[in-house]
Amino acid sequence: MTARHVTADVLLALAVLVVLASCVGVLAMRGVYDKIHFLTPVSLVAPFLVAVAISVQMGLRENTSSSWLMLAFLVLSGPFLTHATLRAARIREKGDWRPGTRATGHGKGADGGENGGDQAGGGRADAGKESR
Amino acid sequence: MTAFGLAAIAMLAGIIPCGVVLCRGTLMEAVVAYEAISSIIVIVLALLAQGFQRPAEFEFPVILAVLMLGSGLVYIRALERWL
Repeated sequence: MTARHVTADVLLALAVLVVLASCVGVLAMRGVYDKIHFLTPVSLVAPFLVAVAISVQMGLRENTSSSWLMLAFLVLSGPFLTHATLRAARIREKGDWRPGTRATGHGKGADGGENGGDQAGGGRADAGKESR
Repeated sequence: MTAFGLAAIAMLAGIIPCGVVLCRGTLMEAVVAYEAISSIIVIVLALLAQGFQRPAEFEFPVILAVLMLGSGLVYIRALERWL
């Protein structure tokens, strides 16, 4: 067993630990805002460790480039997905994602869905229910 | 079995706690669990491709990583507006 293999194994073990700990965190935390903190290690740190492990083991090969490409897509998509998820959670909770607007269930704020167009469209479902 | 295969199996165990959240949590908590599971599957596919020494199968994690963004955003958008 060479130093390359040992390094790759250590990196893989770290990646597994990161994933398992994050999954336990997703299970243990309460509420979407706490749970979503544990999404980043799964979607960013662990893939990075795996890509490095593959690079260390294989050197510059086809596998390595594919794994880094995979990592690039995950790194690009992670922040967008996290932001969109939190935005959706806030809209479902308050009727509007913007601070200071109280749209849920109290009539006035529900117009966020009517006027906000795309940005505050989430208020619509609640708005309809509440105005009736 | 190589270390990559073992790591893939160990990572699959992480789907269990996420699955519990998916089944028992609120809708938004389930979305978070779904995103975590998607990321884990991407990593597992890469590990399996490396573990079985099949470079052609590295396309699966790359494509899934690309599709994860699109499908996730569409799903979240629908959730935000209609569900």
